[in-house]
Amino acid sequence: MKQRLQKMWSLFYYFFRISWFTFGGGWSMIAQMQKDYVEKEQAIPAEELLDIVSVGRSLPGTMIGNVAYLFGYHQAGFPGGLAALLGIIFPPILILSVLTFCYNQFQDNLYVIKMLTGVRAAVVPIILAAALKLFKTAISDRFSLILCIAACVLNVCFHVNCVILILCGLVIGLVAGRWKEARA
Amino acid sequence: MIDTLLKMFWSFCKIGYTSFGGMSMIPLINAEMVSHGWMTATEVSDIVAIAEMTPGPLGLNCATFAGMRVDGIVGAVVCVAGVLMPTLTLCVLAAIFFERFRGSTALNRMMLGIRPVSMGIIFGVMVTLSRTNYVAGSSVSPGALAIGLVSVFLLLKKQWSVPKVILLAALLGLVL
Repeated sequence: MKQRLQKMWSLFYYFFRISWFTFGGGWSMIAQMQKDYVEKEQAIPAEELLDIVSVGRSLPGTMIGNVAYLFGYHQAGFPGGLAALLGIIFPPILILSVLTFCYNQFQDNLYVIKMLTGVRAAVVPIILAAALKLFKTAISDRFSLILCIAACVLNVCFHVNCVILILCGLVIGLVAGRWKEARA
Repeated sequence: MIDTLLKMFWSFCKIGYTSFGGMSMIPLINAEMVSHGWMTATEVSDIVAIAEMTPGPLGLNCATFAGMRVDGIVGAVVCVAGVLMPTLTLCVLAAIFFERFRGSTALNRMMLGIRPVSMGIIFGVMVTLSRTNYVAGSSVSPGALAIGLVSVFLLLKKQWSVPKVILLAALLGLVL
């Protein structure tokens, strides 16, 4: 029992610590886990960590949360998964709560308005840069290109709900995947 | 209030279950927040920038921000719980049946359709956000457009990191 609590605490504390430094969408965290758990502590073989990452990534939701849970589960079952997940989510909640408070306070300040106007102008380019990085994996043939364009047009011009579009994509993927494999 | 909290929880559940990795959450968040009147498209842009400047996954950062704005800490906890529902349900199952999930063909097939659609709605949200971010009143704002072009150049050609670009954009915003 005591050992288990200790394990949970160390999982919580580890993820709590690295969560403060996970800029840029999770990959830095996985690199850190690789260094600490695979190379230093040898608590998990490299292939298994890779499997965890790929399953965590293919499930919906926040990838980091999924990976943290799966890793914690691998180390100490359900309580371990929960401990790792809690560790990961605490720092962003704390930071964002403070920032939201500041945002509410200073939103109407003249200088803040000016700075935010500038920052907003950079947001679309930031999304564009991230999207282009993912483009090659997502759009690999004519079929996926058509799907991508259709989703964009349906969303922008016909205001079709994003959730519905994703669900359609899921069904189309299942059907088309089976069809493609049957043909191959 | 309970009513709003439940609605927010449900919204973030939907966002969680239909997003696969960072950026794909933005169109969903934009749609849910704006349609309920919880945030404006401008505020969604702000939270994307704030989330990019701070550690932690975009989804959690947005959920905290939106929840705090609507109902303080309680709202934040409710929204974070919503966005974590896929982890607390699907991931819990995946951990138990890990062997079956590993290299599952059904999952791979689903991604064949989901990835391109996610990409499509990401381009969609770029159009939507451009309408608010580059337009002041009824005309295009030249200052904002200039900052946008500089950002594209620095991000794509000069490989600047995102926080650096945001800081520069903030400075340019003060000057222009």
